[in-house]
Amino acid sequence: MEKVKNRFFEYLNKLKPRGIQSILMISFSVLSVAVMLTLGVVLYIRFSNVSRDEIVETTRKLMEQTGENLEDYLVSMRQISDAVYYNVVKESDFSAEQNEIQEGMNLLYEANRDNLRSIAIYNDYGSLMAAEPVASQKEDPNVTRQSWYQQAMEEVENMHFSTPHIQNLFDDGTKGYYWVISLSRMVEITDGGDSRAGVLLVDMDYSSISRMMDQINTENSGQYFYLCDSNGEIIYHPRQIQISDGIFDENNQTAAGYKEGVYDEVFNGEHRKVLVNSISYTGWKLVGVIPYSTFTHGMVNIRYFIMMLILLMAMMLAFVNRLVSVWISSPILKLNDSVKDYEAGEKPRIYIGGSQEIRHLGYSIQSSYEQIDDLMKKIVLEQNERRKSELDALQSQINPHFLYNTLESITWMVEGERNDEAAFMISQLAKLFRISLSKGRTVITIKDELQHAQSYMNIQKVRYKNSFAVVFDVDEEIYSYCTVKLVLQPILENAISYGVSAMDEGGEIRITGRREEGTVILAVTDNGIGMSEEEVRFILTDSTRVPKHGSGVGLVNVNNRVQLLFGKEYGLKVESEPDEGTVVSIVIPAVPYTEENRKILEKGYLFGKNVIKKIEDAGKENEKQ
Amino acid sequence: MKNSKKVFILTESVLGILVIILAVVMLMGRNGKELHKVSVIVENSDDNQWAAFRYGLRMAAEDQEMEISVVSTEGTMTLEEQQALAQQEIDNGADGIILQPVPGEDTEEMLKKIEKKVPVMLVESTASREAQNSSFPVTQPDNYAMGKALGAELLKDCGDNLKGKTLGIISETMEAQASLDRAAGFKEALKDQGTKVGWTAEGTSEEGSTDSLVNLPKVDFVIALDDTSLTAAGEYSAANDLHGAIVYGIGNSTEAAYYLDTGAAQCLVVPDEFNVGYQSLQEVSEKLGHSFRKMEDRETDYTVIRRDTLFTKENQEILFTMSQ
Repeated sequence: MEKVKNRFFEYLNKLKPRGIQSILMISFSVLSVAVMLTLGVVLYIRFSNVSRDEIVETTRKLMEQTGENLEDYLVSMRQISDAVYYNVVKESDFSAEQNEIQEGMNLLYEANRDNLRSIAIYNDYGSLMAAEPVASQKEDPNVTRQSWYQQAMEEVENMHFSTPHIQNLFDDGTKGYYWVISLSRMVEITDGGDSRAGVLLVDMDYSSISRMMDQINTENSGQYFYLCDSNGEIIYHPRQIQISDGIFDENNQTAAGYKEGVYDEVFNGEHRKVLVNSISYTGWKLVGVIPYSTFTHGMVNIRYFIMMLILLMAMMLAFVNRLVSVWISSPILKLNDSVKDYEAGEKPRIYIGGSQEIRHLGYSIQSSYEQIDDLMKKIVLEQNERRKSELDALQSQINPHFLYNTLESITWMVEGERNDEAAFMISQLAKLFRISLSKGRTVITIKDELQHAQSYMNIQKVRYKNSFAVVFDVDEEIYSYCTVKLVLQPILENAISYGVSAMDEGGEIRITGRREEGTVILAVTDNGIGMSEEEVRFILTDSTRVPKHGSGVGLVNVNNRVQLLFGKEYGLKVESEPDEGTVVSIVIPAVPYTEENRKILEKGYLFGKNVIKKIEDAGKENEKQ
Repeated sequence: MKNSKKVFILTESVLGILVIILAVVMLMGRNGKELHKVSVIVENSDDNQWAAFRYGLRMAAEDQEMEISVVSTEGTMTLEEQQALAQQEIDNGADGIILQPVPGEDTEEMLKKIEKKVPVMLVESTASREAQNSSFPVTQPDNYAMGKALGAELLKDCGDNLKGKTLGIISETMEAQASLDRAAGFKEALKDQGTKVGWTAEGTSEEGSTDSLVNLPKVDFVIALDDTSLTAAGEYSAANDLHGAIVYGIGNSTEAAYYLDTGAAQCLVVPDEFNVGYQSLQEVSEKLGHSFRKMEDRETDYTVIRRDTLFTKENQEILFTMSQ
């Protein structure tokens, strides 16, 4: 059992919808099925109630009609009885006017022979006084013991309708027996001048009543009608013999107690509606029985119709549901597919379509992908640039032109026997190269960088025959901070080439360094010819602009290298006034030089930015204090 | 996407098939279901003695919603005639046959042939001489008990003293198992009572035998073992042609009742023919409703009626069924 249960749940889990279209389709379907079922049930209940009421109403009308017919028939029988009594018997003496009486009875009998079996008058001893049709009386019919006779004698004022019985009075030679209903009343008869009591009997043919009842008992649907007297004795029942044989049961005793109206009852486990109609004068009850199965029987077609309607609606709704769910889900699915394709490495356009929201989604996904692409490109580009810069830096370390000039200067010095100067030059050159190499590091201390700059300037000063002055004005506290190596040299080279080299005397290059709000600013100031604003603008963007005889490394390159390592907010700042001079400042974060910091910074800005950020924050904190 | 399309097509086709099935069911329902038709073959079917039987059939047909047709026959039938009639009814679309078997050795054989086509229910008598051997279900009154009851009534009327009395026994046929059973029951009741059977007559209703009862020697009691014999005997008795013999008999027609009523017969044992008709058809209907059901024997009641009880409420109903 447990296994089966588990399997069932596993199966259910498998069935769980995965796609948006299935979810939409299933929810629409469940909703529409629920609505349709509710609608169907409500319709069916409504229809069945209406049809039930209609059946009951039709039956009631039918019963009313039949009741009236029965009443008419019984009234006509009473009228015959009255006519025989008042017009024939009462006026005449049986001894004297036997023929007239017989004639009168014959007239009445002949006029109604279709419905009548016989008319007879018995005296108070039970002797037959007159009968129509004339037939021989049976040997000993024992009239006084027959119930119709007794009833008439007991209640003299009334007319009595008996229950159906076999007429046991005459022998008409047909060897047959007639089933009759007796209408008997006590009458006064005159016989030989004496007035005495007697009983007038009108035997009605049972078939007249059974015919009327048969007419309404033709329906095959289970509904039927029967007739009983006030004691519940059955007068007519379509299953009369079955009831007396015990094959069939009828609730006639209860029905006899009902007043006119419609009743619900459960009889022998069967729910049924019982309609009761009273027949006046007789106390008889016309009872219509409609088993509830009859209502259902009549509803079968409606049931089919509603089922058909539900099925057709289900078909249509399934179709519409599918259309709607496809319509709603298809843009999402397309979007999803294009994203999947993108993820799979292809590069299709992101789908943009469908409703406004989905279009927006498509647009934003597309733009974010484009941004990612751009960023990726940028990163690749930056990496390339970094490599190129580093290569440039490497190249600048061993600029052959510079080396050639320097070595030539040294040669002249040796030739002119200025050995001390030559030795100084060589030692400066050695220092220059030592720092240039720096064991392949990119980040070095500011102190080393300054040393490098100083060596460079010392060599240049010799080359330019001290035509300009070099002043180092650097705070010692910044010596132990990190910097990108060989950033000062190109600037100095620039300052010499474009600033002071052209001046005859008085040229000065000033190198300053100080710490400022978490940053270190190294500045090279010359009092040379300066630059126009346009030139200043180009100097940091045009990478082709390099000193003609210098290391070949432009300021652009320096700026890039600084920014690659420290971020965009750092780098070079150039201020210049024509004829006044130029100030080129290198702004870098004040990162203390440790082996760890060096390694992080050398990986580039993306890795080092946390360290830089920390330093910036610390710098700001210090400022506040 | 493809999966959901499959599910959609599947759903639509299932719904479509349901719609078609429903439409077919609706159309078939509108045409109305065919009523089962059962044919009834009994000897001399228009005779009055079958009135109650026919009424029973009619009522059962109404209750079971079936169609019956009682084949019109006159006089006695031969086996071939009966077979031809049965075949004709089957050809006319009868779904079942209710049949009073012609007495004879080959009846059982003939019935087996018919039974291969439609269910067969016998009435009034078994086909085989030995009731146990009969392979066909039968609806009949307890013939043996009826004969015995008749004997008991006779015995009662004579104050248990029947010594030296002579009896004349008439029966339509002594071939039929029913007649044999009735005779056996009757004889059993009068065993060791010292009665003597003066004569036994058969086929009183047949032509040329009208005088037979008159010409037979005088007996004290005439015992009629079936309705035809009883009405014949009653007729003679009424005409005082029986040399003062008192008639006792088994009968189920209004004529029989009439002779009882007029004193031409002394006592009447009435088999419940209404129920023979009703129950036989009910059994066939149940068989037609459930093909694998085996039809069973049904035994109906009988009533002993005398002149003074002829008009009791219960007996009036018996007369009612006979008068239909």
